[in-house]
Amino acid sequence: MTSDERRTSAPEAPYEIPAHPSADDPRVVLDRELGVFEPVPPYPPRTEREAEFYTLRDGEMLLNMGPQHPSTHGVLRVVLKIRGEQVVDLDPVLGYLHRGVEKLCENADYHQTIAYLDPLEYVSSLFCEWPAVMAFEKLLDVRVPRRAEYIRVLTGELLRVASHALFMGWMALDLGGLTPILWSFIERDEIVEMLASITGQRMLFNYYRIGGVNGDLNHEFMSRLGDWMSRATAQHEANTKLLNENEIFVRRMRGLGVMDRETALRMCWTGPNLRATGVPFDLRRTHPYSVYPELEFDIPTRSEGDCLARYLIRLDEVKQSLRIIDQCLHEMPDGPIMAKLPRLLRPRPGRAFAAVEGPRGEYGIYAISDGTDQPFRLRIHDPSFIHLQSVGLLMPGNLIADTMAVMASLDPIMGGVDK
Amino acid sequence: MTAVGRAWRRVTLPGKVVLVLAALAVVASGLLAAAAVLFGPPIVAFLEANLPLVRFVVAATAVLLVTVPTAFLIIYMEMKVIALMNLRIGPDRVGPFGTALSVVHGLKVLAKEDFTPTGADPVVFTMAPVVVFMATVMSLLVMPFAPGLFGQDFNIALLYFFAVGGFTVVGLLMGGWASFNKYSLLGGLRSAAQIVSYEIPLVLSAAGVVMLAGTMSLNGIVERQAGSILDWYVWQQPLAFLVFFIAATAEANRTPFDLTEADSEIVAGFATEYSGMRFGFFFFAEYVNVFVVSALTTTLFFGGWNAPFDWPWPVTLALDPGSLGILLLVGLAVVPVVGTLVFAAPFWLARSDWPTWQALLAGFVVFNLVAVAAVLGWAFVSFDWVVGLAWFMAKTYLFVFVFVWLRATLPRVRIDQLMDFAWKWLMELAFLNMFVTAGALLVVDQLRG
Repeated sequence: MTSDERRTSAPEAPYEIPAHPSADDPRVVLDRELGVFEPVPPYPPRTEREAEFYTLRDGEMLLNMGPQHPSTHGVLRVVLKIRGEQVVDLDPVLGYLHRGVEKLCENADYHQTIAYLDPLEYVSSLFCEWPAVMAFEKLLDVRVPRRAEYIRVLTGELLRVASHALFMGWMALDLGGLTPILWSFIERDEIVEMLASITGQRMLFNYYRIGGVNGDLNHEFMSRLGDWMSRATAQHEANTKLLNENEIFVRRMRGLGVMDRETALRMCWTGPNLRATGVPFDLRRTHPYSVYPELEFDIPTRSEGDCLARYLIRLDEVKQSLRIIDQCLHEMPDGPIMAKLPRLLRPRPGRAFAAVEGPRGEYGIYAISDGTDQPFRLRIHDPSFIHLQSVGLLMPGNLIADTMAVMASLDPIMGGVDK
Repeated sequence: MTAVGRAWRRVTLPGKVVLVLAALAVVASGLLAAAAVLFGPPIVAFLEANLPLVRFVVAATAVLLVTVPTAFLIIYMEMKVIALMNLRIGPDRVGPFGTALSVVHGLKVLAKEDFTPTGADPVVFTMAPVVVFMATVMSLLVMPFAPGLFGQDFNIALLYFFAVGGFTVVGLLMGGWASFNKYSLLGGLRSAAQIVSYEIPLVLSAAGVVMLAGTMSLNGIVERQAGSILDWYVWQQPLAFLVFFIAATAEANRTPFDLTEADSEIVAGFATEYSGMRFGFFFFAEYVNVFVVSALTTTLFFGGWNAPFDWPWPVTLALDPGSLGILLLVGLAVVPVVGTLVFAAPFWLARSDWPTWQALLAGFVVFNLVAVAAVLGWAFVSFDWVVGLAWFMAKTYLFVFVFVWLRATLPRVRIDQLMDFAWKWLMELAFLNMFVTAGALLVVDQLRG
């Protein structure tokens, strides 16, 4: 067996040690001083990682990227198998941010659940509350007042703009551009401050309630929103101008990490990532919820399926979100913002699933009630997790630098991935 | 207990330190004076006999000393300019407009733990920053800052410059290899590939200038560009300038070619395992390198120390301070006092709520500013090298600004694009430039007979 062949199992002892052992030969344990790694220990692999280590061919090495790497968007750890600069294989290791949110929710009552779900998706936390309250409303048979629905759509679309703005900055930052992230933070900061004036928080809003929302729109929110809307389009144009025509940026993104439509559907992709492959699937249109059927907007799609398409489609979505916000402001009805509900919620035994279209794809909550005031089981469907699992398909053959670009273009949030 | 002992015990700890140091200084100066009297003449004779050696030592020391404020200045400039382009405020706490921040950074780096990772090769690991820093500093030795203000002028200065600059890659490779870290290794190998590739278009694009000037001495090249702005080589070699500047960006590991320390990919590249002053040396070397390549661009293409135009109103001050004799001494004693009072008067008159001492302090500060400006102005019109240095620095820092600007604007290229660009575009352009220049020179020679 030459060292060039792929090894699938541990070598059997005893070894025939050649006369001139080479450090690259995985069969040989070189007796070196401490501090130098031995190629292979003389026992069968004890862990998955060790087994993977045996599969290294000549000239390959494992590179451990994360969980403290500067650009893995939180605490993602990626084990790269590289040959020189080229990525041969890639293995995302999850679980560094696991808090057991699903289990925590089983021991909280329905109202408290919302607060637990907030920090999952810390960049756009309203989209984690939304499917939960929708699922609970289905369990309880509650009709949400129309004004509350409009407020939900309005705040949700605002947060979608904020999330996409941040995505744009991250994308550039992972490709080495320093400026766009700070420019995009102008938009995000303004939106987040705006939402803070009605929710009281800047990041984990905890705003949606079962049967409505927590507080009505107030003067500060409306005046900030009016200010921002008057220059939002111009600001968006200015931000995109920073990057869209940049030759280096476009050359690095075009044709990178191409996902075809069939594979994307098979890997359960949703959201902008799926629409970038040409599938016009948007929950707001395909499974309409809230007041979206009454609103006018397009579903932008692109056919390339590469990183650039995933980047550009988010910019298109921001424009559609601005359209929706505008319509919400014009058609906002008067009325109550909360349905009449008993203080203690005991839904009938049963199960309900609700999903919304978030900035990263489909957020779903599957809740089972056993008739008590706590959910019997709560299952979270998070798009970041789904998208991250196909990094292994997109990466092989690309370079180390592209790992960051591909991962950033999928836009995962580790809080949601690790739950 | 004697009176002296009691007095000594009352002195605070800093006071004791200062007193001991003062005593030592007095003793040392006495010894020095004695040594100068006893061994002075032979030492002076020795120095006079070995003037080139003295010149070299002085120049090397001066260049080493100059690198520190240069790096500080460029670091501050980068922080502030990028901050303004990012719509941030940037450093504004330490010193006026945060100007002292890079000094504080330097002190911080000095105070940090100097860490060597287990498994690193300690000797190579320690030597790597030294090699990188020395390579950068040594290339400053041939840089003509102003007429007469250069370390050494020899006929292969440009060749020496490129040769010494190539040492950087050895240092980076050493650091990358000895750190015992895969990111460092990747960074080191990237730097080797990158710098070796870009060295070729860099040298080839400079060849056109060498052909035009007919010399490789940097002083000679600058002198051949004397005259107006139209005599600078950038007009005859625009393509070479573009190729040179791009290659120099890669050579200095600056954005968009900063793959060696790409923080979003390989953490910090070769510098990942470095901390404390070893990292400080890498950091210093990087910024001094920016200055060096900017200075070389200025020298080769933008006329070095030459002014772009003659001063429209020639000012000559036939002021020889020596001719004033004893009056100079009197003036030095009187002018500061009078100046302070004169400049304090408006403050004293206009700000009635200020106490007198505050007005005097303000007057003193204003007087100093005016005096420094006056002295600089006098030096500017009286000495050639001050004018040269001013123009040289102005042009050089213009290019430093461009480097900073690039860093704030551009994302990073990928390693394969980097290589493609060097070998498929820059090299061809550099060769084209060389052939066209050579052909043009031949034609001109033929025409002139």
